[in-house]
Amino acid sequence: MPTIVKRALGLAWVLPALALVGVFVYFPLAENLGFSTLKWDIYSGSQEFVGLENYRKLVDDPVFWRSLGNNVMYAVVSIAFQVCGALVLAALIEGIRSQRWQRILRSIYFIPCAISLTVAGLLFYFIYEPNLGPLNHLLDAVGLGDLSRSWLGEESTAMPAIIAMSQWQGFGYSTLLFAVAIQRIPAEIYHAAALDGTGPVRRFFHVTVPLVREMTGLMMMVTISGAFQVFNEVMVMTGGGPDNSSQVLGTWLYRSGFVRNDFGYAAAIATVIFVITLAIAVAQLWVANRRRVEW
Amino acid sequence: MRSRVLTTFAAIAGTSVLTLTGCTGGGTPAKAPAADAAAKPDYSGTLSILTKFAGEPLEPYFEKVAADYEKAHPGVKVELIQETDQSIKDKTKTLTASNALPDIYFTWTGNWAENFIRGGRAADLTDVIGPDTPWGKTFGKGSLSAFAYDGKYYGIPLYNNGKFMGYDKPAFDKAGVKVPTTFEELISSCAPLRKAGYEPIAFGNKDGWPALHYLQQLFAYNVPPATLQADLKPETAKLDDPGYVTALKQFKTLVTQCTDTGTGTNGVLYSSAQEAFAGGKAAMYYQEILEFDNATAKGKLDPADFGIFPLPVPQGAKGDPATLEGAPEGYLINAASPRVPLAVDFMKFATNQENAKTLSAPPYGQPSTVIGAVTTDTSSKAVFEGIEAVNNAPRLAAWLDTVTVPEVADAWLAGGEALITGGKTPEQVLESVRQASASAK
Repeated sequence: MPTIVKRALGLAWVLPALALVGVFVYFPLAENLGFSTLKWDIYSGSQEFVGLENYRKLVDDPVFWRSLGNNVMYAVVSIAFQVCGALVLAALIEGIRSQRWQRILRSIYFIPCAISLTVAGLLFYFIYEPNLGPLNHLLDAVGLGDLSRSWLGEESTAMPAIIAMSQWQGFGYSTLLFAVAIQRIPAEIYHAAALDGTGPVRRFFHVTVPLVREMTGLMMMVTISGAFQVFNEVMVMTGGGPDNSSQVLGTWLYRSGFVRNDFGYAAAIATVIFVITLAIAVAQLWVANRRRVEW
Repeated sequence: MRSRVLTTFAAIAGTSVLTLTGCTGGGTPAKAPAADAAAKPDYSGTLSILTKFAGEPLEPYFEKVAADYEKAHPGVKVELIQETDQSIKDKTKTLTASNALPDIYFTWTGNWAENFIRGGRAADLTDVIGPDTPWGKTFGKGSLSAFAYDGKYYGIPLYNNGKFMGYDKPAFDKAGVKVPTTFEELISSCAPLRKAGYEPIAFGNKDGWPALHYLQQLFAYNVPPATLQADLKPETAKLDDPGYVTALKQFKTLVTQCTDTGTGTNGVLYSSAQEAFAGGKAAMYYQEILEFDNATAKGKLDPADFGIFPLPVPQGAKGDPATLEGAPEGYLINAASPRVPLAVDFMKFATNQENAKTLSAPPYGQPSTVIGAVTTDTSSKAVFEGIEAVNNAPRLAAWLDTVTVPEVADAWLAGGEALITGGKTPEQVLESVRQASASAK
C-alpha cells in the first residue's frame, strides 16, 4: 500500500476523535475567550463587547488575588504531601518484606480517595463543626481546649482546614502510583547498592528518587494542575467564606458568574486558570523529559 | 517532545474546559413574545415547573397538585423540577443562561424578579391576575403588587413570609425572662437564659444570608425608609446614613452576647441552629414563618410552647419601627413558553381555595397569599399570628440578598461574615458595600 494512502487511512482513523475534541474541547475554549471580552446580561441576553476590560478588572480585584494566593498555597502544600510525602511513604511500604502487609497498608492509604470529594467535604464539615464536631471535642479531651475554634468559620483557619482535608483525601492515590513506580525498578539495582554498603536512606535518595523521576514529574503536573482547578471541597465546606477568605479561582469564577451575574468576568477568570495550568503542564513536561533516566 | 507537548495541551485543555464551559451557554436574547395569557388553554403536552420545595416536608405538595391536575386533564403531563432554597439560585441562572427556563419557575421579589421581567423572561399576566380580575381578587393586594413592575403584573404569589424571633416559652419561664419589648431588653435577657442552661439565640451563618436577615430588619429600624429604599439601587445609593453603622454594631452585640459560638458562627449551618432550637437547647431562633411548623414538628417543642415576636426595636432608632422584614414568594411564567395559557391554568389550580388551605396547614405551613386560606382552623397558631402581623405591617422590608443588585448583596454577605469574625469593623463593612455599589452603577 502506498505511503500516502497509509497516511490518509491513518488520518481517517483519528478524524472522528479530532472532531469530538474540536467540538467539545477547543470550540468551548475559543468561545470562552470570546465571552471574556463581553459584558453579558444573561436575563436579556444582551452582549456588549468590552475588549480587555474584564482582564483589567482582574488586576484591581483583591478577591481574585486572594483566590490565586489560596490556589498557590494549595499547590505548595499538595506538593509537600502528595508528591514528597507520598513518595517517602510509598518507599517505606515497598521496603516492608511482607507482601501481605504491603497490600494491607496500600489499601488503608487508598481508601480515602475512593470517597468522592463532595462526600469527604461534608464529612470534614461535620468534623470541623465548632459545637458538635469531634475535632474540638478531641482537643478538649487532651487538654488542648484553647486550640478549639470554628475551623471553617474563621478567616485564618478556613483555607488551611480545607487543604488539610484534601491532603487526607488525595494522599493515598499518590502513594499508590509511587508504589507502582517503585515496583518497576529492577531489584538488582537495590541489591547492588546494598552490596556497596549503602543504607536505606542513601538508597532512597540515590536509587529510588532518580528512577521514579518520570512519575514524580507527572505527579507534580497533576498535583499543581489539580490545585488550580480545586472547586468541590471549597464549595461544600465554606462556599469561599468567611469574607471570601477561602475563595479559590474556581469558586470565585463560579461566584462571579452565578451569584454576581458577571459572566464575562467569570470567563476571564476561567481563561486565567487555563493559561496557568497549561503553562505548568508544558514546563513540567519539558523538565521531566530533559532529566529522564533510562535503564 | 513536540508531540508530547501537544498531547499535554490537549489533556490540559480537556480538564480546563470543565471549568471553562461553566461559563458557556446560550446568549441569544429571549425576546418575550406577546403571549396571550388569557387565551383558552390547550390541555395537552408537558408542562415543566421549577419549584423551591425539594425535600421534606414540602416536596409532596406540588407532587399532589400535579397528580390532581393530571387526573383532571389526562392529556397534560406535569414535569416537576424541585430544588432547595440554596440550589434553586444556581439552577435558575443556569437555565436562564442557556435559554432553558421551564414553563413556570420560582421567584423571590425585588431585584431577583425584576431581572427576569426586565430581560423579557416573564409573561405579562395583567389580564389574568391584575387586582381587578377574578383570579387577582383572590389574592391580597400587597402580595400581588410585590410582583408588579411599571403597572403590570407578572408574578403569581404563592405564599407570604416574614421573619420573627421564635422562642421557647418554658425556657423563658425557667430563666424568669419576659418577651423583650426593646432590642436592649433582648440583649439583657441573654445572660439569664444562659444561666438557665440555654443558648440564648441559636444562630448559624455558614451560608451568609442568616446574618443579612438580622441586618435588613435592623437597617429598617435604624435608617429612614426613603433613604433605605434609595440605597438599594446603585444609581441613587449613598449609603452614608449613620443608622447603618448603628445597626451593624447592634448585630455584632447580639452575636457576641447571645450566641454560644460567637465569632465562630460562620462555621455553623442555619439548619444546625434550627435543630438546636427545635431540640430545646436554645431559647430563641430568628426564623421565617415558613419554618414555624418545622420547629415544632419533631415533638420536642410543643406547639403550645412556641411563641413569636418581631425582632425588638432598638431605643431611639431613627428608622421605621413598624417595618417588618418579609416578602411573598411566588412564580413567574416563562414568556417564551408555548404553553402560557396552560401554565396560567395550572397556577390557578395550584392557588384555588382548597390547595391554598392545604399549603397553609401543617406539615407544609406555607401561609398562602390567597384570601381566607390562613385561619386558625387551617394553620398553626404561630403561622396564623405571623401572617396576621405581616398583613398588618404598614411596610415590608424584603430580603437583603434578593432585593438589591447581586454585587451589593454579595458585599453585604461578605461584610456580615467579616463583622461576625471581627475581621472588619462596622465602618469597614459599610465602606466595602459602598464600593461595591459604586462599581455596580
